[in-house]
Amino acid sequence: MPEFQFEGVADFFAMGGHAYFVWMSYGFFFVVLAFNLWLPRHQRFRLLRLLRARQTRQARSESPPPARAAAPETTPSPGA
Amino acid sequence: MMQWLYKLGSPRHFYEMTTGFLPWLAGATFLLLGIGLVWGLGFAPPDYQMGDNFRIIYIHVPTATGAIWIYAMMAAMAAMHLVWNLKVADMVAKSCGIVGTSFCAIALFTGAFWGKPTWGTYWIWDAKLTSFLILLFVYIGVMALRSAFDSETSASKAASVLTLVGVVNLPIIYYAAVWWNTLHQGPSVLGDRDASANPPEIWIPAFFSGFGLIGLLFLIVILHTRNEILYRERRAQWVQELLTREPIHA
Repeated sequence: MPEFQFEGVADFFAMGGHAYFVWMSYGFFFVVLAFNLWLPRHQRFRLLRLLRARQTRQARSESPPPARAAAPETTPSPGA
Repeated sequence: MMQWLYKLGSPRHFYEMTTGFLPWLAGATFLLLGIGLVWGLGFAPPDYQMGDNFRIIYIHVPTATGAIWIYAMMAAMAAMHLVWNLKVADMVAKSCGIVGTSFCAIALFTGAFWGKPTWGTYWIWDAKLTSFLILLFVYIGVMALRSAFDSETSASKAASVLTLVGVVNLPIIYYAAVWWNTLHQGPSVLGDRDASANPPEIWIPAFFSGFGLIGLLFLIVILHTRNEILYRERRAQWVQELLTREPIHA
């Protein structure tokens, strides 16, 4: 069975004097991979929202428009 | 087997098959990666020359190897797209871009932070390092070329061709340390205590983190491919039905 190679937490984080290099490497690794896992989920969320909005828009345009009193013609007038 | 492969070629079947498969892949990936990294960081014995600095190996070697293999996969998909006009192949190829670039960047970054205390420099224009930097630029170039076209068909064609051209770089990276006398070492032989400088206590955790990262590569590529399928098939009946029943963040 492999044994824990360090004497306590502080010794583990010190990495035998190589803390800066080891933790910079692992830090970059985790940040980049976290971004890679976040990105497709974020894009999926956006895509589904977009496609759903399009679906409801289409459903509305395909069904007959609700009867509605003719809206008064509005023309933008200067100074209004 | 052929039937299964044939089905994977259909965007809809690819999407439906991966739906059930994803949680298992994610579970196995994080389990392997967790074991590999905890073991490598805390339990593997320190290297007799490099001390604890060598622990970077557990992420450096698998990400570098992964960046090369994912490029090979991207090229295989590009070829399938060009020859058989297979839509799913092109979507997978497109999905390899960001994760391949990321693996490349991680390998270069961790290599630099390993090189500094070991070789005395973050960077040197050595054949292995330089050809690997070129791989990063090829990845970025393929993605940039794809996004430069308005037409999806032209974008796919152009990106596929450029991807295939970039394949010449792969054997150069792989054999750089063998063909030329480089500062970067050649591949270490894995074996028992007599056959190799690296005893099993050191390389077994690397297998865990290695397979974990292969799983992660596939996981990320599949997630991107599924988005691409939904987008390109957005007018298909099955996507329209899926939109009405699937929870938005699944």
